[in-house]
Amino acid sequence: MAAPLELSCWGGGWGLPSIHSESLVVMAYAKFSGAPLKVSFIDNTWRGSRGDVPILTTEDNTVSQPAKILNFLRKQKYNADYELSAKQGADTLAYIALLEEKLLPAVLHTFWVESDNYFTVTKPWFASRIPFPLSLILPGRMSRGALNRILLTRGEPPLYRVQEVEAQIYRDAKECLNLLSNRLGTSQFFFGDTPSTLDAYVFGFLAPLYKVRFPKVQLQEHLKQLSNLCRFCDDILDSYFRLSLGDG
Amino acid sequence: MSLVAEAFVSQIAATEPWPENATLYQQLKGEQILLSDNAASLAVQAFLQMCNLPVKVVCRANAEYMSPSGKVPFIHVGNQVVSELGPIVQFVKAKGHSLSDGLDEVQKAEMKAYMELVNNMLLTAELYLQWCDEATVGEITHARYGSPYPWPLNHILAYQKQWEVKRKMKAIGWGNKTLDQVLEDVDQCCQALSQRLGTQPYFFNKQPTELDALVFGHLYTILTTQLTNDELSEKVKNYSNLLAFCRRIEQHYFEDRGKGRLS
Repeated sequence: MAAPLELSCWGGGWGLPSIHSESLVVMAYAKFSGAPLKVSFIDNTWRGSRGDVPILTTEDNTVSQPAKILNFLRKQKYNADYELSAKQGADTLAYIALLEEKLLPAVLHTFWVESDNYFTVTKPWFASRIPFPLSLILPGRMSRGALNRILLTRGEPPLYRVQEVEAQIYRDAKECLNLLSNRLGTSQFFFGDTPSTLDAYVFGFLAPLYKVRFPKVQLQEHLKQLSNLCRFCDDILDSYFRLSLGDG
Repeated sequence: MSLVAEAFVSQIAATEPWPENATLYQQLKGEQILLSDNAASLAVQAFLQMCNLPVKVVCRANAEYMSPSGKVPFIHVGNQVVSELGPIVQFVKAKGHSLSDGLDEVQKAEMKAYMELVNNMLLTAELYLQWCDEATVGEITHARYGSPYPWPLNHILAYQKQWEVKRKMKAIGWGNKTLDQVLEDVDQCCQALSQRLGTQPYFFNKQPTELDALVFGHLYTILTTQLTNDELSEKVKNYSNLLAFCRRIEQHYFEDRGKGRLS
């Protein structure tokens, strides 16, 4: 591909190339499929946009949202699912839906809604990468967006308040992690020996949960007990991201 | 439900056998019920038929408000009320009937994942079509949703519901999708289901599970509901094994049991 593909996303920390799940999904997929991405991290200058991250820019196109970016990369012949059968492709869609419905609310809660975590870790981290005075507004908006999403999708009557929804979403997330662990078993990746889209999504959702140091860590503790999922994240970090961590 | 309340309900459920007079409540079939609610109701009816549990369907205009979670359908069994397919499956399991006991752990994970796929894509697409597509909203949804109520309540309730659904769509990122993109997603979902089903009679070979009930509920409703245009049902009709699947379940669990054709 002649034209350079530039990805703009949130930066990394705690050993990860990015702590933002969606950015991480795209970066992992690019590594798996061999797409030459030039990654530029958002910093606190006014250059570049911050909404709807991650954003892929080529000469004449701008694509946002992981699903659309992955589709775009596939059309450019960077396809990590080349060797999957039709049924495995279908399974990929199903497991991604499972991740979004069951795991994402709890991940959003851990990062953005749980006050200890938000005020001590998430907000300072994001605020340091957003120019003043936007740094006063944007993290709060992202937090409210996350809470909104959780309440609108899960907070149906009779669970009206966050506290009641919390118990339910963490239970669902733990069940989802158990299901993923069962499905992975002892294999290196979800579909055989080469990583695919599903591996990118699982890595993107799990790695921040696994690595970022939070004060309130119930979901992280649960994840750490599932050793094959931890091994999965570590393997991908070592094999695909070790060299580029120097610039991260 | 809190964890303690759920455990309590399970205990109570386990002690009594399934009564003869169990009833399932939904909105009025002819004039009021919408596509997504009809799909959910049919999924539950199919599931109960597959478990061989008798249930009587009762239509009430205020079914949505009677339900403990605000969603239809809900079942009234003994002195308990349970709504939505997920909790109903667990409730039925507590009474000792289950369709997915024979599956191993990996298969159970797959089943849950595919059920989430249907909820994530098909159900959301149905809601989008009903409430965010102006043509359908104007011609069908508003009129149907408010039909049992006098003016101006019918308009107020319809607008309120539309606002709620639009808020939800925006929160999950579907707010900016066009109808074509939504139909693309439906096609992708049907393709995935078709590939998973392959040439088997049910998703997990010989025996139907709650996944089959859920998929049947949604696909059958899409195929048989009159909308402003046929694009949605055309997407499903592209996959012949899904059509055969719906026909098979309809024949086996509804016609043969003497319930007559589903209208």
